[in-house]
Amino acid sequence: MQTFPPNNGGERGRGYQTLGSPTEGFEQQPANGWKGVFNILSYTQYFNVDTDVVLNRLISSLNPIAGDFFSKIDANPDLYGLIWISTTLVFVLASFGNCATYLMEKRSDSTTSWSFDVNYVNVAAGSVYGYAIVVPLAFFFLLQYLGANASLVRFWCLWGYSLFVFILASFLLLIPVEILRWIIIILAGAASACFVALNLRSYTEGSNLPLMVVAAFFLQMALAIFIKVWFFP
Amino acid sequence: MSHSDTVPLHQSSQSDIDEIENLINASVQSAPARVLPARPPSPPRASIPVVSSSPFIQSNLPPPPPPPPSTSSNQKVPSAPAPPPLPTSSIAGSGFGPAPNTLTEPVWDTIKRDLSRIVSNLKLVVFPNPYREDPGKALRDWDLWGPFFFIVFLGLALSWSASVKKVSTDTVLFNLQSEVFAVAFALLAAGAVILTLNVLLLGGHIIFFQSLSLLGYCLFPLDVGAIICMLNDNVILKIIVVCVTLAWSSWAAYPFMSSAVNPRRKALALYPVFLMYVSVGFLIIAID
Repeated sequence: MQTFPPNNGGERGRGYQTLGSPTEGFEQQPANGWKGVFNILSYTQYFNVDTDVVLNRLISSLNPIAGDFFSKIDANPDLYGLIWISTTLVFVLASFGNCATYLMEKRSDSTTSWSFDVNYVNVAAGSVYGYAIVVPLAFFFLLQYLGANASLVRFWCLWGYSLFVFILASFLLLIPVEILRWIIIILAGAASACFVALNLRSYTEGSNLPLMVVAAFFLQMALAIFIKVWFFP
Repeated sequence: MSHSDTVPLHQSSQSDIDEIENLINASVQSAPARVLPARPPSPPRASIPVVSSSPFIQSNLPPPPPPPPSTSSNQKVPSAPAPPPLPTSSIAGSGFGPAPNTLTEPVWDTIKRDLSRIVSNLKLVVFPNPYREDPGKALRDWDLWGPFFFIVFLGLALSWSASVKKVSTDTVLFNLQSEVFAVAFALLAAGAVILTLNVLLLGGHIIFFQSLSLLGYCLFPLDVGAIICMLNDNVILKIIVVCVTLAWSSWAAYPFMSSAVNPRRKALALYPVFLMYVSVGFLIIAID
């Protein structure tokens, strides 16, 4: 335990560590101010989840009509879900998008050969990360502006978990039947959009903001249609 | 970074060194013919006589002898007397420890020593050996040369095989090649950093650069897989090779990552590692 100085020394740059268990002490009290922004340990509170907690949240993200996600994450909203769900989605879109394009071409013209389009990776990374970061940020500032109380980390958590259903849908989107694909992506998009919209509505219960809920719903549907059109043509 | 780390490292690593010294003493006294426990001593331990005046060693044991020279099989431990403590102790404390008088040695010796360190680290990480339960202890002599070579090699292999099959104009070819290399290199280099940060954020205990080094060494099986895939064209064989090397890489990374975090978060730390190796494996299959 005592041989892990980066937990302790890194940004502080001073001092001998005691032989006790100093790291726990530091995790309790992250540094404040600018020092805290650059200290990795001040973010551990957003990753304070266990495996079963994450699984539980993933499963509840598949239930679009419950609308109680915010009460589940109330104690500790996590960013683990946001980061790794969106990363998985980027990988799944880039790889399966290529496979699906190949399968569709193969179906119409059996002589076509496999080609890997690296551009899919860039577009997937840009769109998914951009969407998952910017949209909650925009809603947070809008709600602040309109006077409602909002929590940025909770929003990121909600939107992050709402992307999980697209990962499952991407596996089904490999089926090279056009009409089936449209049905799948519309169902997945509707489930995800309902999940976001209903949770947002229960979160902003007191203040009357139906326009925000509708906007969240349509943004999520737009993401679904973008995924279909761009990656699974 | 590593220099600012040296100060807090000192006291605790002293206690480690003392432990090892005691082990050496015990083994020398009881059974002189027995081999050292872990591995050939790393160069920092050559400065043990300097350290041994610490308060921890006030025991009935006789003053420890320097590590027996027969154990240093692949690394040149200087036969010189104890180095002057001030400059070398800070270098040696960072675990990067070349011998004190490397400034005057031929370049070829330096390269040979680095290569042999890469080989011995590779053996410790990727191949079966008795110290797999806690590779953090085994890999004290981490280096970043090995990971660097493996990452660049993988990127070059991928971009080369991307260029072989495409028949197109030169500029398009160049763009494709460089784009593949960029994606692969960014994925691997940023991936290692992000995976390490992930473990730190999950409350794990891990040394940043050691973890980078270990994750880089775990890419070695995938390098082998990329070479095999470059040399043959059969798709089924490629998939089998990549699956085998993927399992090998994950097996190599498993004990380190899982021992770093709380057992209840093991899956959360391991999943991103697995995801990165799967995506690299997919790139190997997909690109050609």
